Amino acid sequence: MQSEKINKPDINIPPELQSQVAVTTLDRIYNWSRASSLWPMMFGLACCAIEMIITAASRVDFSRFGMEVMRPSPRQADVMIVSGTVTKKMVPQIVRLFNQMGEPKYVVAMGACASGGGPFKEGYNVVSGIDKFLPVDVYIPGCPPTPQALLHGLLVLQKKIEKEKLTDAEWYKKDFHEEIPIPILGPDLLDPRKFHLFKKELETTTEEFLIESDAKGEEA
Amino acid sequence: MGINGIVKGLGITLKHFIETYWVDIKYKGKRYGTESGIEDRKSFDTKGIFTVQYPEEKIKVPEAFRYIPFLVYDEGELGEKEIRCTSCGICAKVCPPQCIWITRSVNPETGKPVPKPAKFFIDVDICMNCGLCAEFCPFEAIRMDHDYEIANIDRFAHHIYDLDKLLKPASYYAEIRPTQFKEEEDARKEKEAKKAAARAAKQT
Repeated sequence: MQSEKINKPDINIPPELQSQVAVTTLDRIYNWSRASSLWPMMFGLACCAIEMIITAASRVDFSRFGMEVMRPSPRQADVMIVSGTVTKKMVPQIVRLFNQMGEPKYVVAMGACASGGGPFKEGYNVVSGIDKFLPVDVYIPGCPPTPQALLHGLLVLQKKIEKEKLTDAEWYKKDFHEEIPIPILGPDLLDPRKFHLFKKELETTTEEFLIESDAKGEEA
Repeated sequence: MGINGIVKGLGITLKHFIETYWVDIKYKGKRYGTESGIEDRKSFDTKGIFTVQYPEEKIKVPEAFRYIPFLVYDEGELGEKEIRCTSCGICAKVCPPQCIWITRSVNPETGKPVPKPAKFFIDVDICMNCGLCAEFCPFEAIRMDHDYEIANIDRFAHHIYDLDKLLKPASYYAEIRPTQFKEEEDARKEKEAKKAAARAAKQT
């Protein structure tokens, strides 16, 4: 089945040579090799992560599609499976991990929380969809998606990769400036770029708080 | 004692280990790739440890399995769709993540509301598959689906389901949930019989 995918550019190979010779295009072999060695990043966020672990385990086993090596380092990973509820506290770290991944990189939003916020979409502490911060390639609905649904999502991602073209790939172009997303959260939330301000504020408030509590202690 | 638990656990592991090989011997190596083997592996009382060759063979889901809701319609005599939904809006009210939007259709001549949905949207990327809509629906119009292969590359183009995508025939419902469907049909027939009997008693 896999060889059929590579061997298709309208060239008739004589039947006696078909098992020995393959003619292909650069795009096709490049996409085929990339799509069949997607290494996911090893991190989980919530209950969806449990389903992701099951998908990696022997019953549904995604190593059959070349995804067996779950990499704990973002530098070696190709696909980021955002598996679970993304809290506002966690977003800066997730975006940072995404920025550290090498191109080409893909993001799979697994489950309702990662794709649209799910039941917490209007919550005070949960991001309503990771797609507000990262370019998501595949959305998998479900709460949580079953292992087979996740595997179906990953197969959809493979199909998407197979349609890419080397000439269109942004990351090989000379003037490619990698877009580095920086999470900007709402006004009441953490903006990591203003961290020094927070810190300053924190210092002053804690000092005041200490003084207050000291004063209270003396009164008592 | 803790040792009892350890021995019990190891016993279960050993049982799975032996069963895996025992089943392979029983099928004489024809468990994989043959029709009867695949049927056996799909069934609920299959034994031993194996990998499901997913896109080619799929694990059967239990009848009570819930994924994304769908709307049931009865097929009329002329093949028209008789939507069971009356757009009462109970499902939209009970939905915990609030992923259902309904608009009631209006008779264009009189301007009065008609008990049929004009628009019905479910954001499947928000839906948490709790099944409350199906439980609360008084008209048996909204039910939970079994189809989990709905991952797609675009959220707003593919994952906001409208009436076209949500409507599925009652025959499909009967196929995926035979027990529940039968119960509901029996209850409905009983109710109708009672009504008819009451009407007959009134007339005499």
